[in-house]
Amino acid sequence: MSRNTRDNIDRRTLLKLTGGVGLAGLAGCVNTTDDGGDGGDGGDGSDGGDGSDGSDGSDGSDGSDGSDGDMDTATPTDEPSGDGGMETYQIGMVNSLTGSLSAFGERNKRGMELALETVNDVGVAGGELDIVVEDSESESQGGVSAAQKLVNQDGVPFLIGAVGSGVSLAIYESVVQDTDVVQLSQNSTGLGLTDFPGLLRMSPTGRTQSTALSNIIAEDGYDSVALTYVNNNYGQSLADAFVKAWDGDVAYNQPHDQDQQSYSGVVSEMNSSGADAWLFVTYQAEFATMVNEIFSSGYEAQLYGADSVSGDDVLENTPEGSMDGMKIVVPSAPVEAENYQAFAERFENEYGEAPTSWSAYAYDCVITAALSIAAADEFTGAALQETVRDVTRPDGEQVDNYEDAHAILAEGGGVADLDYQGVSGPIDLDENGDPVGFLQIQTVQDHEYVGTGFIES
Amino acid sequence: MVLLDHLASGLIFSSIIVLGSIGLSLVYSIADFANFAHGDTMTIGAYTSLVTFGAIGGLGGAVLGIPFGFFVALVVGMAMAALVAIVTEKVVYEGMDVDSIGLLITSIGVAFVYRAVIQMGFGADAVRYDIQALRPIEWLLPYNVRVTEHDVAIVVSAAVLVTGLHVLLQYTDLGRKMRAMADNPDLARVSGIRIDRIKLWTWVIGAGLAGAGGVFLGLYNLLSPRMGFNLLLLIFAAVILGGIGSVYGAMAGALLIGMIHELTPLLSQLGRVFTFLPEGFGLPIGNQYGSAIAFVIMVIVLLFRPQGIAGEAV
Repeated sequence: MSRNTRDNIDRRTLLKLTGGVGLAGLAGCVNTTDDGGDGGDGGDGSDGGDGSDGSDGSDGSDGSDGSDGDMDTATPTDEPSGDGGMETYQIGMVNSLTGSLSAFGERNKRGMELALETVNDVGVAGGELDIVVEDSESESQGGVSAAQKLVNQDGVPFLIGAVGSGVSLAIYESVVQDTDVVQLSQNSTGLGLTDFPGLLRMSPTGRTQSTALSNIIAEDGYDSVALTYVNNNYGQSLADAFVKAWDGDVAYNQPHDQDQQSYSGVVSEMNSSGADAWLFVTYQAEFATMVNEIFSSGYEAQLYGADSVSGDDVLENTPEGSMDGMKIVVPSAPVEAENYQAFAERFENEYGEAPTSWSAYAYDCVITAALSIAAADEFTGAALQETVRDVTRPDGEQVDNYEDAHAILAEGGGVADLDYQGVSGPIDLDENGDPVGFLQIQTVQDHEYVGTGFIES
Repeated sequence: MVLLDHLASGLIFSSIIVLGSIGLSLVYSIADFANFAHGDTMTIGAYTSLVTFGAIGGLGGAVLGIPFGFFVALVVGMAMAALVAIVTEKVVYEGMDVDSIGLLITSIGVAFVYRAVIQMGFGADAVRYDIQALRPIEWLLPYNVRVTEHDVAIVVSAAVLVTGLHVLLQYTDLGRKMRAMADNPDLARVSGIRIDRIKLWTWVIGAGLAGAGGVFLGLYNLLSPRMGFNLLLLIFAAVILGGIGSVYGAMAGALLIGMIHELTPLLSQLGRVFTFLPEGFGLPIGNQYGSAIAFVIMVIVLLFRPQGIAGEAV
């Protein structure tokens, strides 16, 4: 009898503990999982879109950043008069030279240096461009101090920055918002930035993947889609954007949790939804499990995926032939375009490694800044606001390098005569300050990813 | 029938949970604490068999799509899981003079150590056994049941192991002593049972079964360092539902939890299962709530039967 009573108490204690400790354990897991370092993990709240950056991570093992000390001491310039002469146009850049995003910062710095060289070989409206670089330490706090220094002390009317979406937003809200200063972020991909039209950026949002996918699926002739997404900010936002962009029927639209040991329920539900096109917005491990279950259940469907489901891990852990025909969109520089190849060649000669799209974004930020200065009536924030979007937008001659673009403006052309095509893509900044997404379509053939085209969205 | 397919996958998933929960329950009844390292013991079994299978290869023939070599690897995996559990018991738990809560927290630490060692050796990414993946069994497809021969092998192997355990507990000397000790350790000791030895055997059996569960989990899914830990909460639910310390309760609990987990998708399409409901009828409960529903049912059962399914009445 005494044993029984004790047993009962133990069970209650245990119940409590199981719950408590289990939760604590789960909370702890979040870190452990993410430490896996797989690029697919874009769970980082505000910056869900960065998940897709993973694919670029592979080619960047940059260590520390070079020193930019000389640039920090650049002297403030006088009021530009705009009537020729060797004017120095000084703009600012907030970069992640140290901290968690310093690998991006390093690539930005290289792209920026190449662009500055390009610009000053030709000149800007008869003068030259100078960029004051400040370090954000990859933190909002550091970014805001850097931007305050640039805007309030150096008085720059054009600010390139920052890398992390959170940092860009912090700078915009605390420094830039109530001024005329133009802010153009080089690398922020967070979806939330779209809600701030005054905050421009060069790197497309994750949302462009969703619209690209909806176009591809429609083009392939499907009118019904089964969609499953990972149950976090990244998955939810991409899924929502897809549903918004998709005209057809969404037969199944459910999230799934990460790290489950069985996804047979998900795939069998997708199968019973009756849709022939299945779309996955999830991470590599989860997707590999699902592909295995699709294969062992003998389901036949055309698979589509966001770039976070692609990777060598997935190929290794799925049976040969189980994904053939699957289409994935991956944000990409226009690697086949002439201007990108010229850029890549210069970059390799200079730094001994291939550029990533992140360097291309930084490069285009500087070129866009220079063009908007050349097109503006005067070197002030208000005037640059008028030109910065339009030099990249259609209507006007499409030009893919700075020299020709500047020539059009120098010959008296206005913003309407110029549509600069960047090395990172067509740019075309829209009313929300977002560029057009440029993505590569990859198709799985013989269990390998093969690039089968490009799509803008 | 949609239902049949879900029942089949429920049975497969349950088989894996059964193997995990028996060990957890056994260790609880004899060593008297909830072993949080149990999930990672499963992982050890899985990775050991991965290495063994890689080293010895298929060994010729195959049964149910599984090479003979894999069964050898299974046994080695079980043995390694048991060995690691014994060493841990001897080095860590045995000399520790704390109550069951202290041991519980300690076992969480042990779990982290197991996992870290596996992660150091194999990396954090998922891997899989080098076994040809199979398509579903043809003649079952007309019934809409989509299982592979591997799935059948998992269920059959689990059934064999569980039957073996049943025979051991009911008809052998060791089994009787284990049951005696679980009932009343003091009485068992004064009756002349060497409880230390029985305790060790309990660890061997419990961890061995967990190792087998891990191997099958890896075959069913993929191997990753967190595979066992990720399943542990469901295993705890099964054990508590069955009645802590009761082996047969743990089996029943595991079957129930595994079934509920895999049947959750049906909630949103009830109309397709039951003909008396309108075709499109379904509860708005998505598949991602499978674990939550398993726990809700556990709580409901415990409200009416606090001792669990097979626990002794208070």
